[in-house]
Amino acid sequence: MQAILEVENLRVYFTTIEGDCKSVDGVSFRVYNKEILGIAGESGCGKSTLIEGILRLVKSPGYIKSGKVLFAGSDLLRLKERNLRKIRWKELSYIPQGCMNALNPVLRIEEQIVDGIVTHTDLSGEKAKEMTSSALNAVGMPSEVARMYPHELSGGMRQRVAIAMSTCLRPSLVLADEPVTALDVIMQRLNLQTIAELKERFGMTVVLVAHDMACHAEICDRICIMYAGRLMEIGIVDQLFQKPLHPYTKGLLEAVPSLERRRVKSIAGLAPSPLNWPRGCRFHPRCPFQKEVCGKKEPVLREVGSEHYVACHLYGD
Amino acid sequence: MRPTHLHIIKKVLLYCLIFVVSLSAFFFFINLVPGDPVTRYVETMRAQYSYSIPVSDELIQEYKQAFGLDKPLFTRYIYYIRELLLKQNFGPSFVAFPKPAHELILTALPWSIGLLGFSVIIAWVLGMVIGTIVGWKRGTGLDHSITPIGLIVSQIPPYLLALLLLMVLSYALEIFPSGGPYSAHLERGFTLQFVLSLLYHAFLPSLSLVLVYVCAWMISQRALVINLLGEDYVRFAEAKGLGSARLVNRYILRNTLLPQTTGLAMSLGFIINGSFLIEWIFRYPGIGYLFVTAIMAMDYNVLMGCVVVSMFFVLLANLLIDLLYPLIDPRIRRGEW
Amino acid sequence: MLKETGTNFLVRSSRIFKSSLKLRIGIILFTVLVISVILEPAINNYRLEGHESTEIGVYDALLPFTFEHPLGTDHYGRDVLALLLTGLKYSLFIGLMAGGLATLIAVSLALMAGYKGGRLETLVTTFTNAVLIIPLWPILAIAVLFVERADLVLIIVILAFFSWPWACRQITPQIASLKERPYIELAKVSGLRDLEIMFKEILPNFLPYVIVGFSYAVAGAIMAETALRLVGLGPGAIPSLGLLINWAMYTGALAQQHYVIVLSPILLLVLIFVSLNFINIGLDEVYNPRLKKITGL
Repeated sequence: MQAILEVENLRVYFTTIEGDCKSVDGVSFRVYNKEILGIAGESGCGKSTLIEGILRLVKSPGYIKSGKVLFAGSDLLRLKERNLRKIRWKELSYIPQGCMNALNPVLRIEEQIVDGIVTHTDLSGEKAKEMTSSALNAVGMPSEVARMYPHELSGGMRQRVAIAMSTCLRPSLVLADEPVTALDVIMQRLNLQTIAELKERFGMTVVLVAHDMACHAEICDRICIMYAGRLMEIGIVDQLFQKPLHPYTKGLLEAVPSLERRRVKSIAGLAPSPLNWPRGCRFHPRCPFQKEVCGKKEPVLREVGSEHYVACHLYGD
Repeated sequence: MRPTHLHIIKKVLLYCLIFVVSLSAFFFFINLVPGDPVTRYVETMRAQYSYSIPVSDELIQEYKQAFGLDKPLFTRYIYYIRELLLKQNFGPSFVAFPKPAHELILTALPWSIGLLGFSVIIAWVLGMVIGTIVGWKRGTGLDHSITPIGLIVSQIPPYLLALLLLMVLSYALEIFPSGGPYSAHLERGFTLQFVLSLLYHAFLPSLSLVLVYVCAWMISQRALVINLLGEDYVRFAEAKGLGSARLVNRYILRNTLLPQTTGLAMSLGFIINGSFLIEWIFRYPGIGYLFVTAIMAMDYNVLMGCVVVSMFFVLLANLLIDLLYPLIDPRIRRGEW
Repeated sequence: MLKETGTNFLVRSSRIFKSSLKLRIGIILFTVLVISVILEPAINNYRLEGHESTEIGVYDALLPFTFEHPLGTDHYGRDVLALLLTGLKYSLFIGLMAGGLATLIAVSLALMAGYKGGRLETLVTTFTNAVLIIPLWPILAIAVLFVERADLVLIIVILAFFSWPWACRQITPQIASLKERPYIELAKVSGLRDLEIMFKEILPNFLPYVIVGFSYAVAGAIMAETALRLVGLGPGAIPSLGLLINWAMYTGALAQQHYVIVLSPILLLVLIFVSLNFINIGLDEVYNPRLKKITGL
């Protein structure tokens, strides 16, 4: 299968008074064409920063320390600003976290979408407006929404507007950062379904970041589990959910509330500080299966099955 | 009547009420000061010319009667309010008798508004532009060199800066005149010479105001812009690949206009308050200067008149902001509040 | 009490002091000024050999800069440096006292209004706004006409009386928002009386805002006082910096090119304002870390 995006050893750090905050600390993975890849993990593990890093949207005091992001034949991190801008939106777009604030409060929806269209195509104002209309319709919203202001829409609607905005130019890759986290369950499902539909219709590839495993179960093909700035496990969704290998993954799945199991099991311990990741395997202080080697040597991601990678001493090393 | 109309009327009435209350408070306040224009005048004469005016007491009484100053306070108050509100009559100026106070005020007003209004607006525009640029380029050498200077200058009271400028540019280097609205020997009229003289004389007072205000606006605009740079929608716009010009214009500048235009309106409302010393230092014949000269002579009506004008401006500015803000901010417009 | 435990006042203060450059500059500058003021009696006594700095004719008029008279003498034969120090003393003293009084009034009103909320808050806010509309300078100018004699206390009271609205306006919304914080609810539930809550819970966390309000009030008071003095209003026997400038101008210092007499008080005043404002901005940065990125120098 062809990989449309390849991230190699990406590191994104934040400078603070007390040292470097290593939010993304050596992440590598591939995104295959026309799949939906999920990235899961606790809050604070670096998922959003990862996306920002890929898109080169990291702002001071954050900075990209090292790594490569290969997309459409070039390393995004080394592209000239001008060329990067050309790719943005048209080929590689972004659905931001918390769409409550992602829309400019003083501009109408239409104006904001047209801004993007006009920047990347040669369409006239009229045509751009038509395109806006159809984009809104594609996510199931009436054309009247275009003339409204963001504050007149509910959270769910704003989210869908953001989805419409990000997909209207039919980009090949969409990075969605917690697109449904702030919504209620019903809206969550609706929006996820919309994303999946659009993906089919437009032939896009989607990377979905969320901490709620249920979201991933809903629409993802493959999933990466992230913890403490690194990836712990990558695998096909069904396989991973049925047979999670990494202890952290197991913990995550067990923490999902279900109708059968009354008690929710949480993972012991607290999330470590990015200023000081634990030595050896980053998860070992909280791992019920920890061995002596876990505190000394950091495990590497290795393939243990078809498209199944794990970074854990339980499976070799 | 639509609810908005009712709302507007209520607001206007409220402002009128505040106006009358503050006005009355001020009236009683002035009249509590020991002394009055007539006594003062006689005393100054005595001090200056060492006259001992034989019938001074009777003279004072007579004049007081003529001016109605011997009537009880409350009667005078009622009379004043009535004359003011119904006939816009500020009463006669006691010092420049028989010139009515409003004549003095009306002559002085255009000078103040011209000098100050002009300065405030220029400062606002320049401040916004520079502030946006510096904010956008935060962290660069430009930012680190301009911002500290702006920070310090914005804290210097304009009248102190005016003195400094006066010293350096007028007395020391003799580039600019030291006061007055225009060259004394020129005739008033719309001749080029006159206009140039006007500008020439207005330069220093205007400059002192503009320098301080530009820095103040620049600092506030810069802070707003930097704040906005962290906003989600700006990031999102960047992720859309929008060019810098479009981004700064529609996603940053527009969003700062709301608070900044309000600020501008407030500044314009308060211009007269800020004018007293600058006008006095440069002997610029505006309301501030008029007020200072009237104080020495205890010219009640002129004093009241100046304060009334000042309060009027402030209230007007506030009222306009209150009424127009919904129009500018789309969030409030569609009935969200 | 749900305050920051385990760190005592000194440790916290030094941490705050170290964390903001502007704060450091402001505090150091201001301390230098205050020290000069404290030492003023000693310095002036020593240099002037018992004469008052405002005494006329002690030295020859308009002497050039020498070691004895680093800033020369003025028209009336007074040593400029000595005058400056005295002027600084009065300006700062009046400013601090008036500012302090104004802050006291403002904080009490704000505590009551912000905490009780509702009608009381609206009343106080409306009252404050109404007072704010009356132009300050004219009121002050007229008020000092009451004070023909050299009455320091009266000046201070008048200044404070007319500048508290500004401080109050800043502080009230802060208290109102503090009131909503969860630990206040906790305190209420635990049965503390209102007054106790105000003093034990709100005030300590509120202290930084009070300090900011205080320095605004002091700066405002000094500005107002100087503005009055510049035109010659107010008691002539209290030589604050503003009055020094006025004297200099009236004796034709500008026309005769004796710039030092005008320049030095102005520079001192600018120093005062800059130091106070830096303290303000610095404190703002410390308690609002996000601002650090914004105003970060």
